[in-house]
Amino acid sequence: MTALQIIFLITAVITLGAAAMVVITRNLVHAALWLIMTFFGISVLYVLLNAGFLAVAQVVIYIGAISILMIFAIMLTRRVQQDFGPQTNAAWPWALVIAAALFGGLIWIFSGWGNFFTQAPVMGERADPLRQLGMALVSPEQYVIPFEVASVMLTAALIGAIMVAWERK
Amino acid sequence: MIFSEVTSAGAQFFQWVPLILAFPLAGLLINMFFGGRLPEKVIGIVGSSAVVLTFVVAVLQAISLVGHPEGAVVPLADWIHIGELHLRWAIQVDTLSVTMMLVVSGVGSLIHIYAIGYMHEDVRHNGDPGRYQRFFVFFNLFILAMMVLVSADNYLMLFVGWEGVGLCSYLLIGFWYDKGEGGIGNAMAAKKAFVTNRVGDFGFLLAAFTMFGAFRSFEFESVFRQAPEVAAIIPSAIMFITLFMLLGVTGKSAQLPLFVWLPDAMAGPTPVSALIHAATMVTAGVYLVARSYPLYSLVPEAQFWVTMVGALTALFSATIAVGQFDIKKVLAYSTISQLGFMVAAVGMGATVAGMFHLVTHAFFKALLFLSAGSVILGLEQGHHHVEHDPVLRKKAKNLHHFDPQDMRNMGGLRTRMPITFWVFTIGGLALAGIFPLAGFWSKDEILLEANHLYSWAYIILSIAAFFTAFYVGRQLLMVFFGEPRTEPAAHAKESPPVMTVPLMILAGLSALGGLLNLPGIHTFGHWLEHTLEAATHGEAAEVAAEVGAEAAQAGALGFDLGIAAISTALAVVALGLAWYLYDRRYKQMLDIPPAKRPDDPLRSILGPVFTGMERKWWVDELYWAVLLNPYIALSKFLAQVIDWRFWHDWFHDVVIAGGFKWITRLTAVRIDLGGIDAIANGLATVTQGLAQQMRRLQTGYVRNYALSVFVGVVIILGYLILR
Amino acid sequence: MNVQDLYAISPLIVLVTWATLLILVDVYIIRDRNGGTPILAALGLLVAMGFAIAQTGQQYTAFNGMAVVDGFAIFLQVLFLGSGLVGIALAYNYLQRMGIERSEYYILLLYSISGMMLMAIAADLIVVFLALELLSIPLYVLAGFGRPKVEPEEAALKYFLLGAFAGGFVVYGIALAFGATATTSLAGIVQAVNAGSANLTLLSIGAALILIGLGFKVAAVPFHMWTPDVYQGAPSAVTAFMSVGAKAGGFAALLRVFVSALPELAADLSPVLWVLAALTMILGNVVAIAQGNIKRLLAYSSIAHAGYILMALVVFGNTQVSSDAVAAALFYLVAYAVTSFGAWAVVIALEKAEQKGLALDDYAGLGRKYPGLAAAMAVFMLSFTGVPPTLGFVGKLYLFRTVLEGGFIWLAVIGVLTSLVSAYYYLRIVVIMYMRDGDPQVHAEPWLRLTAGVTAVATVVLSLYAGPLFAWASQAVLKLF
Repeated sequence: MTALQIIFLITAVITLGAAAMVVITRNLVHAALWLIMTFFGISVLYVLLNAGFLAVAQVVIYIGAISILMIFAIMLTRRVQQDFGPQTNAAWPWALVIAAALFGGLIWIFSGWGNFFTQAPVMGERADPLRQLGMALVSPEQYVIPFEVASVMLTAALIGAIMVAWERK
Repeated sequence: MIFSEVTSAGAQFFQWVPLILAFPLAGLLINMFFGGRLPEKVIGIVGSSAVVLTFVVAVLQAISLVGHPEGAVVPLADWIHIGELHLRWAIQVDTLSVTMMLVVSGVGSLIHIYAIGYMHEDVRHNGDPGRYQRFFVFFNLFILAMMVLVSADNYLMLFVGWEGVGLCSYLLIGFWYDKGEGGIGNAMAAKKAFVTNRVGDFGFLLAAFTMFGAFRSFEFESVFRQAPEVAAIIPSAIMFITLFMLLGVTGKSAQLPLFVWLPDAMAGPTPVSALIHAATMVTAGVYLVARSYPLYSLVPEAQFWVTMVGALTALFSATIAVGQFDIKKVLAYSTISQLGFMVAAVGMGATVAGMFHLVTHAFFKALLFLSAGSVILGLEQGHHHVEHDPVLRKKAKNLHHFDPQDMRNMGGLRTRMPITFWVFTIGGLALAGIFPLAGFWSKDEILLEANHLYSWAYIILSIAAFFTAFYVGRQLLMVFFGEPRTEPAAHAKESPPVMTVPLMILAGLSALGGLLNLPGIHTFGHWLEHTLEAATHGEAAEVAAEVGAEAAQAGALGFDLGIAAISTALAVVALGLAWYLYDRRYKQMLDIPPAKRPDDPLRSILGPVFTGMERKWWVDELYWAVLLNPYIALSKFLAQVIDWRFWHDWFHDVVIAGGFKWITRLTAVRIDLGGIDAIANGLATVTQGLAQQMRRLQTGYVRNYALSVFVGVVIILGYLILR
Repeated sequence: MNVQDLYAISPLIVLVTWATLLILVDVYIIRDRNGGTPILAALGLLVAMGFAIAQTGQQYTAFNGMAVVDGFAIFLQVLFLGSGLVGIALAYNYLQRMGIERSEYYILLLYSISGMMLMAIAADLIVVFLALELLSIPLYVLAGFGRPKVEPEEAALKYFLLGAFAGGFVVYGIALAFGATATTSLAGIVQAVNAGSANLTLLSIGAALILIGLGFKVAAVPFHMWTPDVYQGAPSAVTAFMSVGAKAGGFAALLRVFVSALPELAADLSPVLWVLAALTMILGNVVAIAQGNIKRLLAYSSIAHAGYILMALVVFGNTQVSSDAVAAALFYLVAYAVTSFGAWAVVIALEKAEQKGLALDDYAGLGRKYPGLAAAMAVFMLSFTGVPPTLGFVGKLYLFRTVLEGGFIWLAVIGVLTSLVSAYYYLRIVVIMYMRDGDPQVHAEPWLRLTAGVTAVATVVLSLYAGPLFAWASQAVLKLF
């Protein structure tokens, strides 16, 4: 087992655990924080897959914009941050069965495809992924548009958050 | 100027043909925007002169056609351009379309002038003079739409006019939308007309789609040119087109089984009934079949069905007309019946005869409706007079529920409204087919053709003609002869000249209209030949020849004295029978005390059969039971049961929660392991309790919505995985 | 980077810069909020529209295949900017009347439009996704603009939660598409498919997931359930903008991705789209019959119309028909936008505070008391039904024709039958307006009157001269990669 695989397994466990906690915990703020943890785990997975841009986008959009908006919304709109209702309904085993079947079906389909089992290529020793990523994000040949759009989106989300939080006189 | 010079220079008038659309448009715009500030007279004159000018343009077209019978297509603008489909607004000028233009604008002019006087009284009687302006706006809009319909050079533009006249019909039937039974009777009638017509329009659209599929075009010229080739390759295509088109015809021209809207449409003011629901709009279906003759001539089966529908409608509704007491309803069923004659004629290929009857019918049926309007107005004024006279008021009974359209309230109007009486009589006898009035010639020609082509149709139509003469006689006698049966009838007054003058002109046309196409001379037949031959010209003619030759031969048929004698004899016998029943028997019936006296001599003779005629053979009730009630029930079911109870309540609570309970129980029973058993049981109870709490605590349905998305995902991905 | 790259996104740059500057201008210069912000926002839209129109006739990709300029993009950008203008006109007095006027409305509107415009020029799945989020986030906030009342808050929360849920599917779909082709650019996907190096099964699952996410945006059944609640709860001016802009944005991406990049997947996905279109038309039209609230009714109507436009997408694999289909869809979007805006203008004119004035019965007597407004509404209802001479009729004609040409006869039959069904509830409004007595209260401010009047006239006049408009839509072809 390579180091990469070990890191992957640890990240996967953390991510799934955090995702489960999002729906299990009764405190809404905690749920949002667990969600951030999940997002973070996913961005680590992206890094492991050499998908640097997606990792950054994940951090910027989901941790930066969506989660903050949610926490703003929760903290500024609700007095009670604890949920006392039941957390599952009668149908959860059905949901489990269907979700598992769907997952199984997808895996079955993917497994018929050779690339499914190939390993991610190991990057060259002299590669400098961070520098490459930085260059890519501002290069007009690569990701400058998505990068700038993400910033516009953050502005819009910020204005939205202020709007939501703003108390009427 | 010498006539021949005019006709030879006439081709240039073709360029003026867009004016037939421009004049009504101008009239309606002027009245719409400035009508509020204009006095009633001016509104009426603007509206009427717009139509009169249209008529003048139509006459110029006719003059041009004498010199250039091949006609012309005058393009107006590009409309739709998409792929192979290239449509334009263009006006087809040929003898067929100009005939329709002349009828629509000519009869339209007279009815517009009549309406100046009629609506003046009507808006006051109904208590809202502000609607005078609206009436003329709608009326001009109708002329515009009708002109689009008859002048189209392609099926889609024709459809625009087709829908346009439908809209005007809807608006004008519901003109007094706040009146009628329960305050919504008229509005319901308008809705019925619109919805029934939508069923027909559905047929028209299917025909148009099929047509485009087969021909890649909507233009008459191109469709007719390709028709024989297409018929050779895909014979069923033309069959479908013509049969779908027949559905459209049954809607617009009120044929079996879609005729039910027309009698209710009499809720509109009388000029509307005369112009739209007798003389012009309802003949659009006849025009459509006549125009599509090159298609119908290729499929004898379709011709058979059209003829059958027409003939049966003619007989069916003629029997209903016998049982009606409302003066306008009698005329409405008569219209349906006469439309049946026309549809049968154009269906069997006797296009000339059908169109000839269309023209004469426009004259005498417009005349009958307008005279009926005059009668109604006279009775309303008599009613008004009686109500304001304290002496008469005591004498009269039931003044409050007086119905000025019920023929049982009339009688003896001959002396009180002499002009109306004479013109009504001329119109009625023309309808009955009495020599030498217009109806005699045109009906005779249809019967002649029928005898030649479809002998069973001849028999049905002859019986229908007998009934026609009978109900005409019944109506004349009930309305104008005998003694007045009510006080208002005794005090009825003749209508003003603005109404009676158009009546007299129409009476003249009804009397002399037969001259258009006298046997042996066939002016009208030769006039239409140009269009009909051109449409089936060239290679098309070879295929159409086999079928067409017979029809063409028939078109040239002379005058058969035998058939004329039979139909005249039938009419005279029917009129005599009517005289016996409604004059002699009626007088004898006066001896019976009023409480026991039947309201119609036929009722005591025919019994339940008469009730059947009176209740329109229960067709409306049948439609409610078979179509409308199930439809309403279905939509209620879908909305309340499927969407709400099933999806929101049953699916979530019963299927999912209940299904889970069932599974837990199953596991508990089958897997007989102590621990699991207990856990499963406990789980079931807990879940059940939670589900109960859930229902109470749930404020929104977000989870349901997400579930719906998820179900969609599962189904789509499941399909992709498993395929 | 060269100048052409920047030129390609110039309308977008103008709009975003304008919106951002407007925040500052609003705070520091127009402090008293006397109506300067909406006018400036409208001006910004007009300037951006000028830049968009200036690109007419050009066709190239920019930023190394991230963005594309073609007739399709220009047409849609003009449509989005135009709907922004109407969105401002509808909101101008409405927000005051409802006591929720805040200048952030206009700024968020501009941001949302910039997201839609990005959707139109996107040539890379990543850009599609970012555009989707940029379009949606301001809309989530706008939907809740009536805070702190309960209904807008509920609407915003529902929209947000479900929107995020659906957004997840898009990302998953993009990930699978990337897995299948090793690229996210549409041009790259086409190359990979043509070269045979792509895994088509994986790609079609990815495409289906993208379809689901975008299907949520355009309110296709069964991803539609948020629509009635959100349309009802959100302030009407927002709903009007959302019903046109967000839907058109979703279709922009669907058409771009499916027609230009994925025609090879037609065998897999056409049946799926077929079923979605049919379900959407049927459910939207049938359930609309049972509605008594005009906003819910129009919500189901918008679902139904999404179904009609989806029909154009069904033929995406047939390259001979697909450019016609795109043109028909664009034309229908314009017809729907004009009609829908007009109808919403009338709804807004009748709406009163506390969700009053929205029942169908509140329209009784409108024909007598406000004949102009009622006539306009009647025109819109006829256009929704598809009766000539209105834009709705011409639009349906084009759509049905392409569908028939693509060989999907039964779908066209369903389309015709459902539009027949729709006549029932659209006509019911006309009947209520004209044939029932009532005393409707109307606040027809000048901008509302103008919007209703202009759209009503356009609905009729453009249908008679549909040729030029359709010619423009036909030139709006997608650049093929």
